[in-house]
Amino acid sequence: MAEKHERLGWLGRGIQRRRFLQGAGILAATGALSGLLEAAAAQETGPVQEPIPSFTGPGPNPYWNSVSPYAVYPQKVPLLRLTDRPVQLETPRHYFLTPLTPNAAFFVRYHLDVIPNAVDLSTWRLHVEGNVENPLALSLPELLKLEATKLVAVNQCSGNSRSRFQPRVAGGQWGNGAMGCAEWLGVRLRTLLDMAKPKSGTVQIQFQGLDSGKGPEGKGSHAFLKSLDLTDPVIDQCLVAYAMNGEPLPMLNGFPVRLIVPGKFATYWVKHLTWIRALTQEDSNFWMASAYKIPDTPNGSTTPDAVAAGTVKMVPIGKVNMPVRSFIIVPDGTVPLVAGVPTEVRGIAFSGSGRVVKVEVSTDDGKTWVTAQLGDDLGPYAFRTWSWTWTPEQPGQYTLAVRATDEKGNTQTDEGVWNPGGYLWNKIERQPVTVLQNH
Amino acid sequence: MLRARVAIPVVVVILAIVAIVAFVATRGGTTMKPQAAASPSTATATPTAKLDTPTAVVLSGLQNSSVGLQAGGNYMTGTLGLVAQPAPPTVPPGSVYAVGPYPLYTAQLADGPGKELVLGYCQTCHSVTYITMQPPLPANTWAAEVNKMIQTYGAVIPDDAAKQIIAYLQSHYTPETRK
Repeated sequence: MAEKHERLGWLGRGIQRRRFLQGAGILAATGALSGLLEAAAAQETGPVQEPIPSFTGPGPNPYWNSVSPYAVYPQKVPLLRLTDRPVQLETPRHYFLTPLTPNAAFFVRYHLDVIPNAVDLSTWRLHVEGNVENPLALSLPELLKLEATKLVAVNQCSGNSRSRFQPRVAGGQWGNGAMGCAEWLGVRLRTLLDMAKPKSGTVQIQFQGLDSGKGPEGKGSHAFLKSLDLTDPVIDQCLVAYAMNGEPLPMLNGFPVRLIVPGKFATYWVKHLTWIRALTQEDSNFWMASAYKIPDTPNGSTTPDAVAAGTVKMVPIGKVNMPVRSFIIVPDGTVPLVAGVPTEVRGIAFSGSGRVVKVEVSTDDGKTWVTAQLGDDLGPYAFRTWSWTWTPEQPGQYTLAVRATDEKGNTQTDEGVWNPGGYLWNKIERQPVTVLQNH
Repeated sequence: MLRARVAIPVVVVILAIVAIVAFVATRGGTTMKPQAAASPSTATATPTAKLDTPTAVVLSGLQNSSVGLQAGGNYMTGTLGLVAQPAPPTVPPGSVYAVGPYPLYTAQLADGPGKELVLGYCQTCHSVTYITMQPPLPANTWAAEVNKMIQTYGAVIPDDAAKQIIAYLQSHYTPETRK
C-alpha cells in the first residue's frame, strides 16, 4: 500500500490505517477492485480533518491568525476566541478583503471581566469632570445634538501579532486579526473639552468606561483607565463615537460611545466611555504607569538581555503612532494556484502616521518587488486595499511578500521587533503558495 | 506513475457501482481513481461498456481517463468546525440596550497537584484560558506572572498557595513540560 499512498500524493497522507482496514474488509467481500481500495485510502485523508493545535510555541505562531477556536458571542459572527473571561476575540483573515471591517466581525479585547450586558440610556450620562470650570453630564440625545464628525480609522491592538515574537512573550497570543477599520461617527473630543473648559494646571485628560474588574480598588485589576496629554495633537483628532459603520456600536465594541484616537493603538480607544477627567497630575494608574510601555528606542525594539539588565527606558505606547503594516489576505496558501491562470493577490495596508502611498509585492521571498494597485482612499487613518494580478508561469513553491510605505516615508523591513510587552510588530508579511502544473 | 488499466469490462463497472454504494454507505465517500495513462487513444478505447442506464453513463464518464476527477463525495464524521447557533434574542421596548450573557468556553487544565488552587484563586478575576492560551513559557516567567498578579493586581493568594500555583504552572506549561 505504501506505493499507492505515494502515488496518491497528499491525498494519501494521514490515512488512518485501522479504519482503512475495516473498510477493506467490506470491499474484499464484494470482490472489488484494488482501485477502490485506493478510494478507501483517499477518502480518509485530506487537509482539513485535524483541528488546529491548541497552542503554538516556543517557536513563532506560523499561522496568519491565532490558533484559537471559533466561538459565537452576542452581535458577532463566529470569531476566534482567545479568552472567554475577560473576552478577547480575533477577526478571521478573510474579513480583511474590504477597507471597512464589518461590526459583527470586529475584534474584541477587554482587560477586566465585568463587561456591560445592559446599559439604560435613560440614566446613562457622559461625564466630563475633574479640573474643569463647567462639569458636564450629557445624555445621548444631548450628544446627538452636537456637531457630528465622520472619520474612518483603524483600531489595532498594541499586541496584534504578539504570537510572532521570538522569544515568545506572555500576553494575548494574537495572530494578525486584532485589528479592524470602521467609519466612526461622533462628537469631537475638543468640542466637549471646549464646553467643559479645563482649568489651568490640567496636564492630562483621563478616560474611563463602564467595564470594571473584581480586583481591589486602586489596582489595575479594578478599573481600566487611560490618559492623553492635553498638549498631544491627537486630542484634536479624537472623536467620541456613537456610531460605527452606520450603526450603534455593538456592546462588545463599546456601546453606547467609545473614544476614537486616530493613528494610536486601541488601548487608548476606551470603550463604554462614561468619564472624561481633567487631571492636574500625570496619570499614575497601572494602565498608564506600568502596562502598555514600550522601549524608548527608534522602533520600540530591545532585547531580553537589556530588559533583564534594567537598562531600557520605557515610555507609554501612546507616545508613538502605529507603525506601517501591510497584509496578504488572498491567496492564503490553503488552496493552490494554477500555472498560467491569473490570480489576484489582495490585501490591506495602513499606517498610524498617514496615508499609505505605495504597496509592493514580491513573489520571490522579497528579492524583487512590483508595485501593487491601491484601492479607494478612505482617509489617512483607514485601511487601504491593494491588489496585484499575478499569472505564475511555472509550477512550484513560491513565497509572496508585501511591504507598504506611508506618506512620511516609513516602510517595513525584515527586522523583527522584540520588546517585553509584545507590541509594535510590523515585520514584512509572507505567504507561501503552491502553483500547480496545468497539464 | 500511473499504471496502465485499459478496458474495464461491464461486469466490473457494475461491481464498482455496488462497491461504491456500499462504501459510501459505510464510509461516506470515495475517490475517483486516476485511470490509464492519459493519452487520447487510450481514452477513446476505454468505454466498451454498454451504457444503457443514466447511472452507468455518469460513472463511466467520471472514470473516463480524460475528465481528471480524482476524488469526490468525501465526508467526515465528528463535530470539527461546528459551532452551535444561538437562537435570536427577543428585544423588548424601552431604553435599555441589552445583550445576552457572554459564553464561557473555559479550557481544560492539565491534571496535577495545584490544579484546584489555580481554579480557585486565578479564576477570581479571569478564566484559565489565560493560561492555556500562552505558548510554553520558561519556569521563571510563570513565577513572575503569579507574583505580578499578587503584587501588581492585588490578588489575595496566601504564600503557600502561590508557591503551589507556581509549581503547578511550571510542571505543565513550560517548553519542557507542556503537552
